[in-house]
Amino acid sequence: MSQESPLHRLVRRGTSRTARGLAFALPLLMAAAAAAGPSSPYAPPADVSTNGHRVTWLFWYTTWLGVIAFTLVCASLVFIVVRYRARAGHRAVYDKGTDRRSLIVTGSLALLVFLSIDLVLVHRSRADIEEYLFKWPTDPKTVRIEVMPQQWAWNFRYAGADGVFNTADDVVTLNELRIPKGRPVFLNLKAKDVIHSFYVPNFRIKQDANPGHVTRMWFQATETGSMEIACSQLCGWAHYKMKADLTVLEDGDFERWYAEAQGDAQRRFDPADTEAQWGWEWVAK
Amino acid sequence: MAGMAVTRLPRREESRRTSFVGMTMALGSWTMLFVSLFFSYAVLRLRAEEWPPDGLAPLPRLLPFLNTLVLVASSAVLYAGLRAAAAGKPGALLSTLKRTLALGSLFLALQLAVWVPLWRAGFRIDNTGAYGSIFYGLTVFHALHVLAGLVALLVLVPGAAKGRWVSGAQSPVRLTAMFWHFVDAVWLLMFVTIYLL
Amino acid sequence: MGGEVTTQRPRLAYVGPDFHAEQHVHPDPDSFLRRWVFSLDHKVIAKQFLWMGLAFLAIGGTMAMMIRWQLGHPGTAFPVLGELVWPQSGGVMPPQAYSSFFTMHGTIMIFFAITPILIGAFGNFCIPLLIGARDMAFPTLNMLSFWTMFLSSAILVGSFFVPGGSASGGWVSYPTLSTLIGQPAPGQTLWIVAIFLAGSSSIMGAVNYITTVIRLRAPGMGYFDMPLTVWGLWLTAILNALFVPVIAAGMLLLFLDRTFGSHFFVAGMSVTKGGGDPILYQHLFWIFGHPEVYILILPAWGVVSDVLSFFSRKPAFGYKATALSMTAITVLSAVVYGHHMFVVGMSPLLSESFMTLTMLISMPSAVFFLNWLGTMWRGSIRFATPMLFSMGVVFVFGLGGLTGLHLGSIGTDVYLHDSYFVVGHFHLTMAASVLLGAFSAIYFWFPKLFGKMMNETLGKLHFWLTIVPIVLVFGGQLVIGYAGMQRRLYNLDSYTFLQHLQPLNLFITRAALFLGASQFLFVANFLSSLISGQKASENPWEVGTLEWTVPSPPPHHNFDEIPLVLHGPHEFSHPGVKGKDWLAQNEPLDSEPAALGAAGS
Ligand code: HEA
Ligand code: HEA
Ligand code: CUA
Ligand SMILES: [Cu+2]
Repeated sequence: MSQESPLHRLVRRGTSRTARGLAFALPLLMAAAAAAGPSSPYAPPADVSTNGHRVTWLFWYTTWLGVIAFTLVCASLVFIVVRYRARAGHRAVYDKGTDRRSLIVTGSLALLVFLSIDLVLVHRSRADIEEYLFKWPTDPKTVRIEVMPQQWAWNFRYAGADGVFNTADDVVTLNELRIPKGRPVFLNLKAKDVIHSFYVPNFRIKQDANPGHVTRMWFQATETGSMEIACSQLCGWAHYKMKADLTVLEDGDFERWYAEAQGDAQRRFDPADTEAQWGWEWVAK
Repeated sequence: MAGMAVTRLPRREESRRTSFVGMTMALGSWTMLFVSLFFSYAVLRLRAEEWPPDGLAPLPRLLPFLNTLVLVASSAVLYAGLRAAAAGKPGALLSTLKRTLALGSLFLALQLAVWVPLWRAGFRIDNTGAYGSIFYGLTVFHALHVLAGLVALLVLVPGAAKGRWVSGAQSPVRLTAMFWHFVDAVWLLMFVTIYLL
Repeated sequence: MGGEVTTQRPRLAYVGPDFHAEQHVHPDPDSFLRRWVFSLDHKVIAKQFLWMGLAFLAIGGTMAMMIRWQLGHPGTAFPVLGELVWPQSGGVMPPQAYSSFFTMHGTIMIFFAITPILIGAFGNFCIPLLIGARDMAFPTLNMLSFWTMFLSSAILVGSFFVPGGSASGGWVSYPTLSTLIGQPAPGQTLWIVAIFLAGSSSIMGAVNYITTVIRLRAPGMGYFDMPLTVWGLWLTAILNALFVPVIAAGMLLLFLDRTFGSHFFVAGMSVTKGGGDPILYQHLFWIFGHPEVYILILPAWGVVSDVLSFFSRKPAFGYKATALSMTAITVLSAVVYGHHMFVVGMSPLLSESFMTLTMLISMPSAVFFLNWLGTMWRGSIRFATPMLFSMGVVFVFGLGGLTGLHLGSIGTDVYLHDSYFVVGHFHLTMAASVLLGAFSAIYFWFPKLFGKMMNETLGKLHFWLTIVPIVLVFGGQLVIGYAGMQRRLYNLDSYTFLQHLQPLNLFITRAALFLGASQFLFVANFLSSLISGQKASENPWEVGTLEWTVPSPPPHHNFDEIPLVLHGPHEFSHPGVKGKDWLAQNEPLDSEPAALGAAGS
């Protein structure tokens, strides 16, 4: 275009600002990524599980590749804005990007994304499924617990010495889960009223508990201490305070408490109180 | 550019095709609605250990079967009648509409004859779990479509009597017929899944 | 602009045998009702949808501000409005209200703000004008679609005022929380009815749009001569027609459960005889729900793809590839819904296949995304407001899309599901990409809609004061989500592991209030331009699609003669054109003898 249109003039003033704006977006993005980094105040709670590191690794792999891809995007945006802004004497190239070269470039970049990001993610997640998420513990020392969340509390049930649920020696606790360190913990979950979700940030895992059918999950703690179990599925107005305490004990301490608790349970057991016998037949497979 | 050589048909034919495309889309959408309901049936049934669950009595079959014949007959009558009308047989359309209406109404009557005794016998939607829910949900929802179809047919009658509508080639007649056959086809599937399987 | 008028070549009109029964010129309706209320004119219906959508955008946005206030300043009264809404608690939002607020915020934004604006308003306005038709294929159905939507919205608003308040089970309203077990109040039932009606309206619109595009394209306009906007709207319509019925079925069954005591979704301790399956609802919801998110963004993608080309003064890069990858995504979107249910307890096999299919989507996405960059590449970019917003979409959709990958892989989703990371992801895609796309469309077609120009300076200011906070708000949500914060939390008080996040929440809230405040620039610009905006010429942006070949605003029947289309929508900087850098779709090149116009006769 030979002589400049009012639109162009408006535009020229916009340009440098646009470029600066986009350029400033980059560090901002890096900052965001860093803000979540392990060293930052906004890092997730300490991972004290045998498998939480899988989540961390996959998250940061995805994040950094994303940042790289996105950095390329921003860089080219900035370049385009500066280099190809409308100005006197500059004319666009009549190019529909249908020639073989453009097709190859686009195609291979897309393929690159697919190979470098998607395939890796799928592959790693497959591994997680097969080696962890759905690989139910077979170790004889496994602790099996039935979990029945309700509006708005967590009921836990240990089978007791007989290893059978819904019997007199079952240990039943409310809003308090005790597990041993270094032993797999295998949960059966079934909700009483509405859907809840069993979420332990320190273990990097969550699992819904549905009314009417049993879901399963397992984890293994690597350190003792007290942590929090959160409900992560909307379950009514008090959802935000549906919390339970999780205490990881040394194996010995756990067994001591467990034996003691079974004694109390037997003494307290009241066959007439059917409400209290909410346990179900264990679902392993 | 693409399709430069433009050939166009007379107006009436153009609008006939447009409304046909529209109706096809609408029925496609409608199909998805019933597909979802059948999907729900499948999920609920696959999740139940036994079907019918909890010792509920199985549904009657004879009446529903006869009823299926009635609805199929109505479709056949409509189809044949429209062929005849297209062939220029005077008054064919009117009589066809009347016969179809009769058969359609008979279908609804027989549906009631199926529901009422069941309900009286205590097999209600609110006390039979998923089994009764899906039975009443699907059959009643379908019956409402039959009702809609009947209304559509009824609306055509005066026009047919006055000779405004003479053949199934005219959009209103054609689209109504499409809808009627669709509702009929849905019922066939419903009969097989709910009563036979 | 300068030379434009002088170098106008005669536009070609179709002069063959008469066609399109519905294409004869209607006389303008005279009665007020027929003209402005129960109008059959797609342009008027478009404006009705636009006003409705903007009003609900304001409502939904205000609710967002109150949600953010509760998270940033828990237990304090929301300025001014607080006292009015919750006098009994001294203006502080109670927990019950919080649930109903994010529920209605999500519902309103998706079904009553974005859908009416992008699909209702621009679907109606653009489709006939951009394909050279005089109206939709079924004008009456079109009017019906709007009034059904209107009724639906009235019911939704009404549900705020019934005893027990509005629905509060989340915008997904999972049973059994949404059945009588979790929500006995009638608000939930009204919500179900409203969604069902809104769905019916969408289906009516969809049938109309699909048919119009198939049947009423001007002679010479093949599918690959359509503006990408029309492609986006068309694919959206197809998704609507196919998948809205699925949620309709879900609503129907949920309604029966609530009102007739059936047991489709009811299960748990309270149920004695063979209960239903709450998970069934989740399948029905997400079979619709995932396509829905593409239903929302496809029109935005289309608009952006066009606007980028228009203001780069350069043909859309790889037009066909873009159209086809949008189609591919449309198809794929039907088979990935399970990625919303990874922690529900699906079989590992299902989960794996849903994950793999989900990942596939990023390929076509990358293709058109790169085509966007390719379009601007070697262009001559005019940074008018619509262009800024479209470039903004490129930026935020990159972010939103890439964060979808974290959620798509089961390995990370078991941690991120139902956390603010998800909230950040879908706001970057919807509240950022789709909303900015909608703004781009509004700024771009405002002249054609109302015959006035919007104020450019205010527009640019609006852009910068929106894009910056939007990235801060939803970027912040990503961070706080990875830090472990669940969504749908009234406050952080119960959890020790969340305490240190309060400052970050406050930061997000401040950014959100900033974002909300800058929207007044838009409101001001919109309303003042409407009243006293500078008069718009026929073709202020100097582009070649058909709507810019008729006056602004267009006459009741759009085109005096149906145009004869010779070119694609993006013929910019064509070496064969002298004196200007654009070519109307029905404007012959110097090289092309105007006689071509006779073609077809
Ligand atoms: C417009 C809306 C929209 C869009 C477009 C998307 C796009 C995507 N979404 Fe999103 N999503 C939602 C709206 C949307 N989503 C909503 C509303 C929810 C939550 C609902 C609720 O629970 O309330 C959700 C939730 C959601 C989940 C469930 C999370 C959970 O609840 O646990 C998942 C999981 O897979 C997911 C994945 C994806 C993926 C893979 C994409 C893909 O389409 C993204 C593809 C895009 C890209 C991959 C980026 C673009 C490409 C590039 C940048 C090129 C790369 C660069 C170079 C080549 C240099 N989304
Ligand atoms: C397209 C959809 C959309 C849009 C645009 C938005 C916009 C915003 N949303 Fe929304 N949001 C959802 C869809 C959307 N949201 C959904 C689906 C949920 C999940 C609900 C659930 O969990 O069930 C959700 C949930 C949600 C939460 C999580 C609540 C929780 O889990 O506890 C939060 C919290 O920060 C939030 C914040 C915001 C903010 C700050 C905006 C801002 O972008 C808002 C800024 C916009 C405005 C301030 C409006 C501007 C006004 C105008 C332009 C008026 C013009 C009017 C005229 C001209 C008359 N949203
Ligand atoms: Cu229980 Cu949320
Ligand atoms: Cu999805």
